[in-house]
Amino acid sequence: MRKTLLFAALALTGLAGPALAQPAKTECLAGAKPGGGFDLTCRLAGNALHAAKLIKDPMAVSYMEGGVGAVAYNHVIGTRPGDGGLVIAASSGSALLIAQGKFGKHDENAVRWVGALGTDFGVVAVAPDSPIKTLKDLIAAFGKDPGAFPVGGGGAVGSQDWMKMAMIAKEAKVDPKKMRYAALEGGGAVTTALQGGHIKIASGDASEMINLHQQGKLRILAVMSDRRLAGAFKDIPTTYEQGYTIDWPIWRGLYVGPKVSDADYKWWVDTLTKLTKTDEFVKEREARGLFAFDSLGADFDKRVKADTAKFRALAKEAGL
Amino acid sequence: MSDLAQRQRRIGRIAAAVLMAFAVFYGTFGLMIEYSFSSDPIGPRGFPAGLAVALFALGAWYWLVPGSTEEWPEQEGRIAALTFLVVSAACVLAMDWIGFVPAMLVLMTVIARLFGANWTLALVNGAGQALLWWLMFGPLLGGTLPKGPLGF
Amino acid sequence: MSFDFLWQGMGVALMPQNLLIGLVGCFLGTIIGCLPAIGPINGIALLLPIAYTSGLPAESALILLAAVYYGAEYGGRISSILLNVPGDAGAVMTAVDGYPMARRGEAAKALAISGISSFYGGMIAVVAMTFLAVPLSLLAIKFGPAEYFVLMVFAFATLGSMVGHEPVKTLLGCVLGLMLTTIGLDATSGAYRFTFDQPELHDGIEFIILVIGLFSISEVLLMLESQVKGTLKPLAVTGSYPSWAEIRHIWWPSVRATAIGFTIGVLPGTGASVASAVSYTTEKRLSDKEGTFGKGDIRGLAAPEAANNAAATGAFVPMLTLGVPGSGTTAVMLGALMLYNIQPGPQLFVEQPKLVGGLIASMYIGNILLLIMNLPMVQLFARMLLMPNWILIPGITALSILGVYTAYSSVMSVLIMFGIGIVGYLLRKLGFDMAPIVLGFVLGKVMEVNFRNALALSGGEFGIFFSSTLSIILWIMAVAIVLVPIWLRRRQAARAAAGQTA
Repeated sequence: MRKTLLFAALALTGLAGPALAQPAKTECLAGAKPGGGFDLTCRLAGNALHAAKLIKDPMAVSYMEGGVGAVAYNHVIGTRPGDGGLVIAASSGSALLIAQGKFGKHDENAVRWVGALGTDFGVVAVAPDSPIKTLKDLIAAFGKDPGAFPVGGGGAVGSQDWMKMAMIAKEAKVDPKKMRYAALEGGGAVTTALQGGHIKIASGDASEMINLHQQGKLRILAVMSDRRLAGAFKDIPTTYEQGYTIDWPIWRGLYVGPKVSDADYKWWVDTLTKLTKTDEFVKEREARGLFAFDSLGADFDKRVKADTAKFRALAKEAGL
Repeated sequence: MSDLAQRQRRIGRIAAAVLMAFAVFYGTFGLMIEYSFSSDPIGPRGFPAGLAVALFALGAWYWLVPGSTEEWPEQEGRIAALTFLVVSAACVLAMDWIGFVPAMLVLMTVIARLFGANWTLALVNGAGQALLWWLMFGPLLGGTLPKGPLGF
Repeated sequence: MSFDFLWQGMGVALMPQNLLIGLVGCFLGTIIGCLPAIGPINGIALLLPIAYTSGLPAESALILLAAVYYGAEYGGRISSILLNVPGDAGAVMTAVDGYPMARRGEAAKALAISGISSFYGGMIAVVAMTFLAVPLSLLAIKFGPAEYFVLMVFAFATLGSMVGHEPVKTLLGCVLGLMLTTIGLDATSGAYRFTFDQPELHDGIEFIILVIGLFSISEVLLMLESQVKGTLKPLAVTGSYPSWAEIRHIWWPSVRATAIGFTIGVLPGTGASVASAVSYTTEKRLSDKEGTFGKGDIRGLAAPEAANNAAATGAFVPMLTLGVPGSGTTAVMLGALMLYNIQPGPQLFVEQPKLVGGLIASMYIGNILLLIMNLPMVQLFARMLLMPNWILIPGITALSILGVYTAYSSVMSVLIMFGIGIVGYLLRKLGFDMAPIVLGFVLGKVMEVNFRNALALSGGEFGIFFSSTLSIILWIMAVAIVLVPIWLRRRQAARAAAGQTA
């Protein structure tokens, strides 16, 4: 209800009031190397905004690598807090790092969260010739002998891939610290290690595993979601369906600096609200393997803060 | 032993002492690395600790056999090097405030002077290069360069 | 296996538009490689949006980006040889023998030799890729953490050859390089090491910052010193072109280096810099009998150049067949493919024969174009580096700052680069080589991470390092690379002794 009201209010301001001024130059900052997830978010926003003719000139994408977005976060707060044309890519991974205090001295209240553009989901996969066929099999076997199941993920202890497996380990009554976990260099390395038999369980993201699943190079046991996904995922059961109330959405979104004016903030929320309804956007989003995740403005702000609170609790439970 | 060889020996020993001190500093901080736990038996402190020991041992070897060094610059050379470093650091730090082009103008002019250009040539070169690099990496390649009050 | 993809690809690559795009890419790549401070990865990152928004079709965009990539591996050698400042990360080892040759007045020969060995490396690697892409991708899968660790042991074993007349300095340099890799996020435990609460240090010291600092800033300081003393003279591209005998002389070193470079390129996570380092040290170990390596030996120049080109080509194999990038630059290209909604993987050869074939065919053409561009026209590129010092050195400084700033948008990173430059200058004055530092740095992280990952997977059992045929083969190679040269030297000494008594 709140959400509808908010949308209505935004739509009204968009229609009734004088059209909000577009910032002179729009720029999207990706807090990593070109080619990564933040870059993808920036390009999704930039290409769709331009294709849907919501901005005149293409949005510039710049890169500031460091600490999985930490450098960009501190840079925006410190150097460009009031730049209304600048949006910065973020993800649930950013929220996780903020929750663990790994973004420096600033917490999640230090910036203004604009909205999510889409989401991916965590998945667990095994090799196609593995005797494990379902998540239930896995949890039973893993609980009996965790040492027989070396796990690989694309991040260090405490990262999203590790947290996903820690939640599954907890279901199997295994201390997450007892997992044989290798932190490999990104999702590609994880699927390669699974195919090579170096690890027995792969923890990763749905979009990077689905093609290999369809080719029969690995088997996704469960999508960590509370609802069944469509498309290529329509035959893959979720964690909820298999009786485990654990999920791991990996949202991708944008924030702006803390001192950005209300008018500019509103322009972004308003424009993205319009954008997410266009066909151009849906096409661009699906091309990047992302699912719909409608959360913008105040709703998104609440979502981010709920996430960081949840991650703090999870980290504590896992003994980090 | 000649004066020169003796001086070189002394410099080598100073370097060895600095490296050994650095090994102690590095090792101390290495053992203080905070972490909750690691999934491997070595942990994040193991590698740094081993390297600190290796550096210390090699530093001691270096102390015993200091070998030779190259000639060190005279006063004039030291001043030139210092000017280059101080002006570079100042211009880089000032870049975010005064903008890319003004900062580079100053830096390029000073370096050209250090390498023997007269003031006119140095200034022309400074202005030309500052603009050239700004054009190339800014508008042409679409990079984001620091902006000052002048807008570039 | 059928080669339909190649014939179809030839058709694509020979289309006038794509020929022109390939030529432009080779030219841009050579310039990007030649200029210190911008390497293929930032070059491609800057070009990708331009290619995409200008509406180039996928195969043309890929041909362009690939040409920039391997073109840069050709161009990087020019400033290594003439300025002792590597033009890009893969050209670090080229300076070791190339610069002394230029000092001796053999710059033209050095440029020609390295151009030819680049061509050998690039061309042999493309042929290898055509035949071996699919089978090789199966080998890459066999590399787990334990195998990577043993591979790094092999790489360090080749380093034995770097120990010169002051072994302590070589070892110290290596340890310093290894120490630099421990800065930043620990990939296994997620702990921050030596970051002192600076987010700029969370990802550690970037290779590009290290290389620019160590080589270009310290070189500027050294040049400044000779300028004050009045001994600084610009180098000219002088001397004769190489003889046929010399071109034949570098054939086997180039072939060996290509094999090493291509294999290392195929392995995900290791790139041109590791390839050129390992091939140089291996070649030195095998053929430096008179102690001429490091003083301007053409074999020492040919090996790393062949290797970095072979590695750049090899890096495409896992990208096209597994969808796993073999280097930072191919990671960016993978992003480019995704933009075009193309999912790389084994099915790519079947589903997109025009794209893969076009790319591979364009590499045959590109290498020939680059050979032409880099032999007779090398004067043109070289001249860019032969301006008076009061133009050249401000330019090098500006490019060093820009190379770091445009990649990391951070003043702090630029200052770190200057700091590294000062340390590099002091070490060079003390008689240290920069190469061991770079080697320690490129190998260190891969070694530590894989060592610890392997133990994490085995639950602390060291047996994992001897558990596969592949790792046992690598152990044997590591032992052999240490022992064979010693045995060869003994045998030679024994023969010489026998000759004397006879």
